[in-house]
Amino acid sequence: MSEAAIATITPTPAVAARSFEAAKDKVSVRDLRFYYGDTLALKGITLALETRKVTAFIGPSGCGKSTLLRVLNRMYDLYPNQRAEGEVMLDGENILSPRQDLNLLRARVGMVFQKPTPFPMSIFDNIAFGIQLYERLPRSEIADRVEAALTRAALWSEVKDKLRASGLSLSGGQQQRLCIARTIAARPEVVLFDEPCSALDPISTSKIEELIDELKSDYTIAIVTHNMQQAARVSDYTAFMYLGELVEFGETAKMFMAPADKRTQDYITGRFG
Amino acid sequence: MNAALYHRRRRRSRIVMVLSVAATAFGALWLVLILGTLVWNGAAGLSLAVFAENTPPPGSAGGLANAIVGSVILTIFGIVIGTPIGILAGTWMAEYGRYSPLSTVIRFVNDILLSAPSIVIGLFVYEILVVSMGHFSAWAGGAALAMLVIPVVVRTTEDMLLLVPNTLREAGAAIGAPRWKIIASVGYRAARSGILTGILLAVARITGETAPLLFTALNNQFWSLDPNQPMASLPVTIFQFALSPYADWQQLAWTGALIVTFAVLTLNIVARVLSNLGGSK
Amino acid sequence: MTEAALPSIRETSVTDAGRLRALKRFAAGDALFRGATLTAAIAVLVLLGGVIVSLAVGSVPALKAFGFDFLTTQKWNPVTEKFGAIAPIYGTLVTSLIAMLIGVPVSIGIAIFLTELCPYWLRRPIGIAIELLAGIPSIIYGIWGLFVFAPFLQATLQPWLIEAFADVPVLNVLFAGPPYGIGVLTAGLILAIMVLPFITAVTRDVFLTVPPVLKEAAYGMGCTTWEVIRKVVLPYTRVGVVGGVMLGLGRALGETMAVTFVIGNAHRISSSILAPGTTISATIANEFNEAVGDIYTSSLIALGLILFVITFIVLAISRLMLMRLERKQGK
Repeated sequence: MSEAAIATITPTPAVAARSFEAAKDKVSVRDLRFYYGDTLALKGITLALETRKVTAFIGPSGCGKSTLLRVLNRMYDLYPNQRAEGEVMLDGENILSPRQDLNLLRARVGMVFQKPTPFPMSIFDNIAFGIQLYERLPRSEIADRVEAALTRAALWSEVKDKLRASGLSLSGGQQQRLCIARTIAARPEVVLFDEPCSALDPISTSKIEELIDELKSDYTIAIVTHNMQQAARVSDYTAFMYLGELVEFGETAKMFMAPADKRTQDYITGRFG
Repeated sequence: MNAALYHRRRRRSRIVMVLSVAATAFGALWLVLILGTLVWNGAAGLSLAVFAENTPPPGSAGGLANAIVGSVILTIFGIVIGTPIGILAGTWMAEYGRYSPLSTVIRFVNDILLSAPSIVIGLFVYEILVVSMGHFSAWAGGAALAMLVIPVVVRTTEDMLLLVPNTLREAGAAIGAPRWKIIASVGYRAARSGILTGILLAVARITGETAPLLFTALNNQFWSLDPNQPMASLPVTIFQFALSPYADWQQLAWTGALIVTFAVLTLNIVARVLSNLGGSK
Repeated sequence: MTEAALPSIRETSVTDAGRLRALKRFAAGDALFRGATLTAAIAVLVLLGGVIVSLAVGSVPALKAFGFDFLTTQKWNPVTEKFGAIAPIYGTLVTSLIAMLIGVPVSIGIAIFLTELCPYWLRRPIGIAIELLAGIPSIIYGIWGLFVFAPFLQATLQPWLIEAFADVPVLNVLFAGPPYGIGVLTAGLILAIMVLPFITAVTRDVFLTVPPVLKEAAYGMGCTTWEVIRKVVLPYTRVGVVGGVMLGLGRALGETMAVTFVIGNAHRISSSILAPGTTISATIANEFNEAVGDIYTSSLIALGLILFVITFIVLAISRLMLMRLERKQGK
């Protein structure tokens, strides 16, 4: 299965040759260190997320891939004793700066979580909530936007007759797509997926994967996953992390077929992790 | 196996078990007796007049209308003053101050207030409000009741908000919603039935409170809706009438006691049903 | 899946004026809400502080006039304005002691029944009944005590106690007649009935925190139910049970209405617990509104302060104990 998936990805020039110019990279991370209290969880990460491409983060549990994702929208700021050092540029602005408006940052960098997180309100309100945060729109326009987002998330046909039902009444896979719809309805530029399929069955998983593939025409996407086939299927670039370090970063096809680092090879062939 | 020892051990266990059943029966007996006599004596005086007429002068018939209305008004004052403060304080503890040591201190202090003797609360409000206003008033009574409401509501609000999973807060933040909006639209909504249960329990608690009203709202023989005047309440009326030598008054005290108990138990049951409904979702 | 007909979702830019306005609103809203909640939280602290300060200030005249004697003398004379707090303090402690002596074993017995013996289908109804009973206003216990319980004791238990222990040293003093009906013992018994639901509810909850595997391991070794309770449940939950008992004690010490009806309101310390007495809360409830003169009022407030300090200590211990159990459970 993984070979087949890899084969579909067209090879592109080597990563080393890629330049980190701003126009090409939506997000660029330079020498990022992250601390939980005194524990160093990210030991100087440098990489970039290319605009309108999917970058996958793989690695064994505790390697720091989710931590890295949570730096990109500064989600860690909700908790005490967590801090990041270094530089994370979003369109050339350092988002780690204390002057960064967090609400604005998170509106620009959306996130979909491991477990579906529908708000305790109706399906319609789940999506309208995000839209109405930043825009004053007439009722009809909001309805249009909700429909557009649900359609985009491939959920519209399943829920169009029960928009008033609670978001919690949906199945797990539907809830996750609702969350994706909610995220894109808020018009972000970057969407972060934190193991979005780990709580879902295979059919729902493939639907989400198709969706991610479909969304990259508009958004810069980062996805953390435990599932290497998934990384191979959905991503353009892959970063392998291990013990808080970025071991290898490059084009997915190349990385899976000819990993440069021994540890990467061991991991993707299932020898540990 | 040593049979004698085994039998002794089993016998001892059985004795303790019999004692525990006896304890349960003993406890149940008193509570049944209390509720039984309450219904028996209270129902004897139930009539329309109880709800329609005011408290009578000694030795004549009358009702409890002014006391019932007074109780309702005082309870509303207590809830209206106490609930917002309680919810806001509980919100700070569960949301903004969750990891702050101040939150731990407030939780401790709140738990003390939760079980502090209510008569002391009455003294406090007397010192603060009655003395400075120069007279007893329904305002003071409401303030005293609010002081009993606050710790109950703080406690349930904090507990319920803490039960809201962090992932929901993160999900709110992830679409760029500000903290207060996340709390108001997601936190409160998820915790709604729990907080409502807490408020109902607080209502139940203050409905039957007597001691904090003795020196604040005092009592009033007459119909009064003026919050600047002393106001009658069921519990204080029961207290006064039960200790009087007049049979009419004593009968009204029993009937009042039945009404108060019925109200409190109903509130408790509604609160319980509500929290079960919320919990099962 | 691609619905080309629909408008593209991204068509506005981030520097959109509407978005910036929204951000300003958010910042203001957050500052406001945070400030409001913090103020309310501080208010809770201020309330407790206010109670202590106002009671302390109110007690100053009495404490100035009587000094330390206030705590040690028994005289309570509004006419000569001589006040001493020892009789109500004594009454408060003794009634609570009686309540605990009876209430604690019975409550623990009920909790054992509920957690170990009771058939499952009956546990919920009984548990709910107990919690409902904990909500019954104390004035109900008071009125019942006055009209039903006291006459009953006067006719039955009290004459029997007087007679039965007439020749037993110590006990014949403790149970010296005549049977008034109302008095310290009656108040203690009412309090015992009243604290039953409180202590039972906490004890049951605490018993339920014992991990089933621990109990199963003991049963697996052939322990009897009682042995499991004594060797596993009680040691594991000791701190929590003490916390629950202290919570009940806090209630009993501060209880006003259930006691005021049946204690007899006599400012003296009697060797017999059948005799009338008084407690701090009953004294305040009965006399505060009639109190004339600064010294009298202040003496009553000083009583309130003493009561608050006693219950504060008891409740603080109770909370610390229960918090310790919670922490143990959390880890």
